[in-house]
Amino acid sequence: MAQPITVLNFSGHQFLRHRLVLSILSGKPVKIDKIRPDDKNPGLRDYEVSLLRLLERVTNGTVIEISVTGTAILLKPGVIAGGSVMHECPLSRSTGYFLEPIVMLAPFAKKPFNLTLRGITSDDRDLSADLIRTVTLPHLQLFGISEGLELRIKKRGSAPLGGGEVQFLCPIVKQVKTLNFVDPGKIKRIRGIAHAVRVSPQFSNRMIEAARSVLNRYIPDIYLYSDVYKGEDSGKSPGYALSLLAESTTGAIHSAETVSQPGVTPEDIALQASRALLSEIRRGGCVDHQHQVLVLLMMVLGSEDVGRCRMGEPTPRTIQFLRDAKQAFGTSFKIIPADQADPESSELLFSCYGTGYINTNRSLA
Amino acid sequence: AHAALGSKRRKKNWMKLIYSSDLTPEQILRDGSTSPSGDNKMDEDEDDFFTIKSRGTAAAGDEELDMTKEKVDPKELKQWEDEELLDSIRGLFITGDSNA
Repeated sequence: MAQPITVLNFSGHQFLRHRLVLSILSGKPVKIDKIRPDDKNPGLRDYEVSLLRLLERVTNGTVIEISVTGTAILLKPGVIAGGSVMHECPLSRSTGYFLEPIVMLAPFAKKPFNLTLRGITSDDRDLSADLIRTVTLPHLQLFGISEGLELRIKKRGSAPLGGGEVQFLCPIVKQVKTLNFVDPGKIKRIRGIAHAVRVSPQFSNRMIEAARSVLNRYIPDIYLYSDVYKGEDSGKSPGYALSLLAESTTGAIHSAETVSQPGVTPEDIALQASRALLSEIRRGGCVDHQHQVLVLLMMVLGSEDVGRCRMGEPTPRTIQFLRDAKQAFGTSFKIIPADQADPESSELLFSCYGTGYINTNRSLA
Repeated sequence: AHAALGSKRRKKNWMKLIYSSDLTPEQILRDGSTSPSGDNKMDEDEDDFFTIKSRGTAAAGDEELDMTKEKVDPKELKQWEDEELLDSIRGLFITGDSNA
């Protein structure tokens, strides 16, 4: 007898992305209601519709139903197809909004992803193209996804008009490795990328100098790179940003980033980014806190063995993800203080038994 | 006073809070004290929380966006102007003294 199809039920507009990802990976349909029912402008936003369109295009056989008012959706997942896709992102969100869920799906596609996204490449809401390239992709490598994994920033695009372009290449895997990452190590180097488009190129150097004034006290191995984009490649709007990452002796990466705001000097932007990096380093753990969800998802999908990872306190998104992942995959994590002896430490040890997820899309090919 | 501080810093029971409570993620992070005293009492408090929150969101047109980067708290960043705090995390770097 066929197994009864369980439908994942969620409410609200929050956490849409990881819920859609969980549905597509688990093969269970997802029903989300109460999407901004009381709002002046109820229902899905343009970027959410755009994300659904993108998911429809990178999969095969996915059925998406949106209610007349747009306040409820039903997605019946198909197989993750991958391949070559071009997507124009609306200017209401950056390319990071769209890439984050795609990064979670891409390793399990039928064909390797070659996705081109156009739009805003850095903003203060989602991971910028720089962070995805230098932080997200290394986090995927922890799970044995590495050969041919790449994000190319072809053009930069700042808000509000964008005009940037990124190309995401991801290999496919049969299965992800179990993670065992419990030693955060010590920070051995700091790297950074400063970019400034359609403003004085001096802004990059000013940001680098200000960041050094905070970070130089800790470590000599600091290399902050000024990334120059000219003409067409610098998008349609002026803007600048500083992305910083700290790498530990065991390969743990922590990151922070600040994007230009009107009326704030490049020095202040750099100070904000540097201090946010210090806060992130102090949170501890083996993975960057913005990447907790990605790492936990891959742990759920890992081979049938116990995966362990030390992290700082979970973010609200992480907590919701843990709940939603339990609904989709039935996996719950064991969460205990990482340092039983040290009452000051807020670091936690997350462990779970992997579901042994196999990329069936690939073997069907 | 020390004892009070100790109990305040008591570890949250994360598994219980995440998997078997109805608290929202924000509530878990804000206080989430797993006080062993009557759960019923906690429930009442939660009810209060919920009504206030729903009224709040209905009134304010500002919507909570689904975003990955968290809002930077200027206060949190401001504290890094303090030399002592800056020095307190030296141990996390290879150059730092591990037994400081």
